Amino acid sequence: MRELSHLPFLSFFLLLFALLPFLPLGIWGAFLLDVGFFIQLFTAMALSWDLVARTGQLSLAHGAFFGLGAYGAGLLAPHVGTLPALVFGAFVAGAGALLLGSVTLRLHGLYFAIASLAFSEVLRTLALKLAFTGGPIGLPVPPPFGGVWPLAAYYLSFGVLLLATALSHWAEWSPFRLAQAATRQSEAVARVLGVRVVRVKLWSLLLGSLVAGLSGGVYGMKTLFLSPYDAFSLGRAVEALVIPIFGGLYSTLGPLVGGVVLVGLEQALRLWIKEGYLVVYGAILILVILFLPRGLVGLLGRRRG
Amino acid sequence: MELLLQTLLNGLLMSGVYALVATGLALSLGVVGIVNFAHGEFLMMGAFLSYLFFALQGLDPLFSLGLAFLAAFLVGGLVYQGLIRPVLPAPELNQMLLTFGLSILLQNLALLLFGADTRVVAPSYQAATLTLGPFFLGAVPLGAFMLSLGLLFLLQVFLTRSRLGLAMRAVAQNRLAPGLLGIEADQVYLLAFGLAAALAGVAGVMLSVILYASPTVGFIFTLKSFAIVALAGLGNLKGVVPAALVLALAEALVSTYLPGGGGLVEAVFFLVLFLALVGRAWRSP
Repeated sequence: MRELSHLPFLSFFLLLFALLPFLPLGIWGAFLLDVGFFIQLFTAMALSWDLVARTGQLSLAHGAFFGLGAYGAGLLAPHVGTLPALVFGAFVAGAGALLLGSVTLRLHGLYFAIASLAFSEVLRTLALKLAFTGGPIGLPVPPPFGGVWPLAAYYLSFGVLLLATALSHWAEWSPFRLAQAATRQSEAVARVLGVRVVRVKLWSLLLGSLVAGLSGGVYGMKTLFLSPYDAFSLGRAVEALVIPIFGGLYSTLGPLVGGVVLVGLEQALRLWIKEGYLVVYGAILILVILFLPRGLVGLLGRRRG
Repeated sequence: MELLLQTLLNGLLMSGVYALVATGLALSLGVVGIVNFAHGEFLMMGAFLSYLFFALQGLDPLFSLGLAFLAAFLVGGLVYQGLIRPVLPAPELNQMLLTFGLSILLQNLALLLFGADTRVVAPSYQAATLTLGPFFLGAVPLGAFMLSLGLLFLLQVFLTRSRLGLAMRAVAQNRLAPGLLGIEADQVYLLAFGLAAALAGVAGVMLSVILYASPTVGFIFTLKSFAIVALAGLGNLKGVVPAALVLALAEALVSTYLPGGGGLVEAVFFLVLFLALVGRAWRSP
């Protein structure tokens, strides 16, 4: 069966990330840990985006969920501590997703895509204008657990990746997958077969937004500073969707492979291209949709038969 | 009272350009059936075309209007042939991802080429105003308004009087039957997509004088056009003009009457979109 051949890969990836701080990396150690941190965080984002995409919905609001989580956690962390703040940030993102989803997910899919894009643009405008977010000046965030443990941020992001992988793997190999696939392939048929289509879409969006919110919260605790342009950037949503499409949609392995390749590449390319590096993602997106719609994993799968 | 009327007048003048851009979006959505997230990028190209001609050659934006129409029509046709046509049989998610990717690519290409600065095309008549009793009308917004209405009228005549226009409406209504009657759906799609891009390109030239040219100017208009199209109803061309008027008036009112409204104007389109969708969700079962 296919499922058995995927688990060793997943375990290998996760084990590698868990052990990365203890590998003898020499002078590259600090840089590679930073790269590893971002790979874990953005791969978790990608997995959470894929979770929504499995119901056939295009979420362009993952940047907004990320930003809501980042600001929610950043504003609360000085008062209640790291973990409660992260949970609170995730709930803020989840509340935003429920608000957005309850209105748009009953309608045709393109309305959700449009509304999610508009949602993320408007939240950035509000974050710039409202008083308590610090506006365009930004918001300082304390390091996790008072900064006593230098690896704290790295392992928090590992935790988010672990959660995202577990969630995605559960959704891939449980009856929930069938409900998601039926919703994606034909809502009308799924409805007739007894799938509660709106509920499946709303649950997927809620779970995805919670993971994205957690990612945002951890991100703020690593960068120690949030600005609306950074936290609510459309680039987050672009990364979150290009990674699964490049790696292979509707799977757990695809986003993991895509995340390692693309985020690693981005961290290297950023040294040359500062502004406008999203050109690369736009080009990859177009090329993959046109020539490789099943992604890297699909390429390997086809050879295997 | 005078302030209110002046505000409404400003909103009215802006609604013409909004309607022009949104009509293009509704055309590609209604006829070709594609959700084009890159629609505003044709507008952005028109704006930069106007800026480049003005800055390098001193060419009046009035001349750029025709050039931008042709250039955008050409680019739109190429985009249709090269990118849109291959994904027409694909799932809708893939189509939306493709146009979204195109939008991201073009925006950031413009960012790399021109930087993030906003650039204004300032011909001699840019600040000219007409007085109408106690009210002021900007000459350029008035001209843009008239031109937009004129173009929309021509489009209406084209769609209702010419054989090609009738073919376009037939394809919009039914995918299969026009083919049986000998209409080449593919060529109609090409024409509709090029026309949609051309309308956005012309609007871009107008906006380079009224507003500015910048890498993100098109993206803002994509979102606003989606709000207008959602309010009008998908593919409903007749509803676009009143819906554009609603959005433009709402924005004008917010910018005049809300304290610190300058930045919040950019959130009005979301309110319009959100309310339109709430209304739609209520009506659907």
